[in-house]
Amino acid sequence: MNNRSNGLRAGAATTVLALLLVACDQGAATTSPSATSPAAPSSPPAASADAGSPTPAAPSGEPIVVGSTLSLTGAFAATGAIHKIVGEQFVERLNANGGLLGRPVEWIVQDDESDQARVAQLYERLISQDGVDLIMGPYATPNILSAMAVAERHGYVLPQHTAVIAPLLTYECQFPAWSIGFEPNVYVPTQLYEAVATLPDPPATVAFATNQNGSTDFVTRGLPDDETDPDSRSIASAMGLEIVADIQYPPGTTEWAPIATQLQQADPDLIVNNSLGVDTVGLIQAMKQLNYDPPLVFSLFPAPGPLLGLGADAEGVLSVSIFEPNDAILAQYGPEVTAIVDEYETAAAAAGLPYTAFETQATASWNAWEILIAGVVGAGSLEHEAICDALHANGAETTFSGNLAFDPAQNNFWPSNQGLKQIQGGDWVMVYPPDRAAGTIQPAGN
Amino acid sequence: MTIQTVLQAGIAGALTGGLYALMALGLSLTWGMLRVINLTHFALILVGGYLTFELATRAGIDPLLTVVVTAPVLFVVGGALQWAFDRFALTEFNSLLVTFGLLIVVVQLVSNYWSADFQRMSAEVNPYATQSLRLGPFAFPTPRLLAFIAAVVLVGGAHVWLQRTYPGRALRAFAQDRTIAAAFGIDHVRLGVLLGGVAGATAAVAGMLVAVDRPLTPSSPFEWFGIVFAVVILGGIGNAVGTLLAGIVVGALAGVVSAAWSPSTAPLVIFSLIIVALLVRPRGIFVRGGT
Repeated sequence: MNNRSNGLRAGAATTVLALLLVACDQGAATTSPSATSPAAPSSPPAASADAGSPTPAAPSGEPIVVGSTLSLTGAFAATGAIHKIVGEQFVERLNANGGLLGRPVEWIVQDDESDQARVAQLYERLISQDGVDLIMGPYATPNILSAMAVAERHGYVLPQHTAVIAPLLTYECQFPAWSIGFEPNVYVPTQLYEAVATLPDPPATVAFATNQNGSTDFVTRGLPDDETDPDSRSIASAMGLEIVADIQYPPGTTEWAPIATQLQQADPDLIVNNSLGVDTVGLIQAMKQLNYDPPLVFSLFPAPGPLLGLGADAEGVLSVSIFEPNDAILAQYGPEVTAIVDEYETAAAAAGLPYTAFETQATASWNAWEILIAGVVGAGSLEHEAICDALHANGAETTFSGNLAFDPAQNNFWPSNQGLKQIQGGDWVMVYPPDRAAGTIQPAGN
Repeated sequence: MTIQTVLQAGIAGALTGGLYALMALGLSLTWGMLRVINLTHFALILVGGYLTFELATRAGIDPLLTVVVTAPVLFVVGGALQWAFDRFALTEFNSLLVTFGLLIVVVQLVSNYWSADFQRMSAEVNPYATQSLRLGPFAFPTPRLLAFIAAVVLVGGAHVWLQRTYPGRALRAFAQDRTIAAAFGIDHVRLGVLLGGVAGATAAVAGMLVAVDRPLTPSSPFEWFGIVFAVVILGGIGNAVGTLLAGIVVGALAGVVSAAWSPSTAPLVIFSLIIVALLVRPRGIFVRGGT
């Protein structure tokens, strides 16, 4: 080894570093938003006229081409797969029910590889070169922001599934399919604290463990450019909860013991884990390893399947949801929704997804397609300005979230119907608000 | 913040360092002895993890016992890869690029087969995930403790093998001067295949312990890159014992910094340490005469 060239070794190390930077970039993206969304309407909506009801005449003529990208590989691929299945299911049902404006619909979906830069390139190509008639948003907030810039430049209407940081989504013709209102950093904590206050022995102390990802950190700390922006902490204090720990951790964290030890020492009644993916799985696991039975835990945007895999250790974990396929919820909606849910579960199982329930992500995706169709039907054409105007004027009737009204002053974010779900008996159950619940919120460990 | 809390975090971190060392061992040895920067090693760890998941979940095998199947399989794969690298006479630089490409291919294949979603063994299949050993006021999480023990055993074995056996001494001679080693009749191809196979087997053990410890996703290797390379470089490339020591130091330091200050400070401290270490001791902090 002694005669090895130092220059060669230094060069190799530099190249490794370069690859590391590329790889770490992908890794960081792993921990970005997999949002969860708005809740079902107080009265079950009718099925979408376009996607749900039978139409006698088969579509004919030139197909209407909808272009989009999805993260079919890379960091966001786990959730990208859900949006692909839902999109295919929706378009198939749409065409089986007469298509759009009497014409068949063709969906071109390209793999953006979870790469923001590639998203912009692909949307540019879809619009400028391929000349697609309509576009659908990609998955994950960073990608949606990239696509939005291209859509705005070309004046295309952009329905998007899951970007919920309303203040960032300023293009007047982007239409969110999942809304946590204009201030998610107010809506989420307020609803959570109100919900846990209904428990027989409500929490008096709270600890925060926050992923510093942009989609989660602002819920704990407010928007970075506004010191006065309310957040989970200030709202907790205002509602009488004592904050006993406030821990931030970087995206991509896999070592949970230090955080668990701090939480154990703080011994809160409620842990608010404003997090993504499998963060809460690691945190609960680490707490159990310390023989510390976690109190009531709230997880903001978890991957739903792995938490259920924790079994009894995850009982009582709370999260946000816009729809859960609980029997009581399905009964409110009727057979059309049950059919959609069942079809999706079959397709998801065939695609090898480990968690096949039609829940928030799938619901947001379905909403996005219904927004697009409602806009075109309302405009009676494929003119984007007319579609945008029609959506502003009429909103969109959706199967799962009722009528969505888009106010440009609120960046089109409609009043949220997001609720809370809780793991009960090994499954996710909608528990709040009571008028949309399939069960009641329970204390930890019940 | 109590001393006990910081010590507990340091203990858990040091044990996690064992897992880092286990992941780094094969990479460090093939880089140091064969001049192959084998990023495919991360792919083998990933595959080892998924095979453990598959065997434990579908076939009902205890996850710890799956290594009986996965280690021989990945030994063969690791050996075959090294044979191919040698056959095509990859240089150190080219090996970096080629194996990065292979890693991407494997990640995609894993994604196609197991889906890109998180896969995690259920509590029934994997009871170890939430278990721990108690010693006084301190908890030793079972998955990390197992990883630490495995790291000590495998690093110790690798060290003895390299120091005391003919193949080990021959590999070291080959690493120092290929031409002279060849003149003394050392068959570097067979030795390389053997070392590649051993590295593959260590990847199987690391993959098994990763699957026991945390959820799997195809993009996991990209989360491991930074910390594993830090351990390899700090420990000294090709230095098995140094790899273990570096893993422990990095893990414990990350744990203590996370508990005493903030988890968001830990990467800053660790990677600052690496920069300083590379400047002061470019061949690794656990290498004699590392300057």
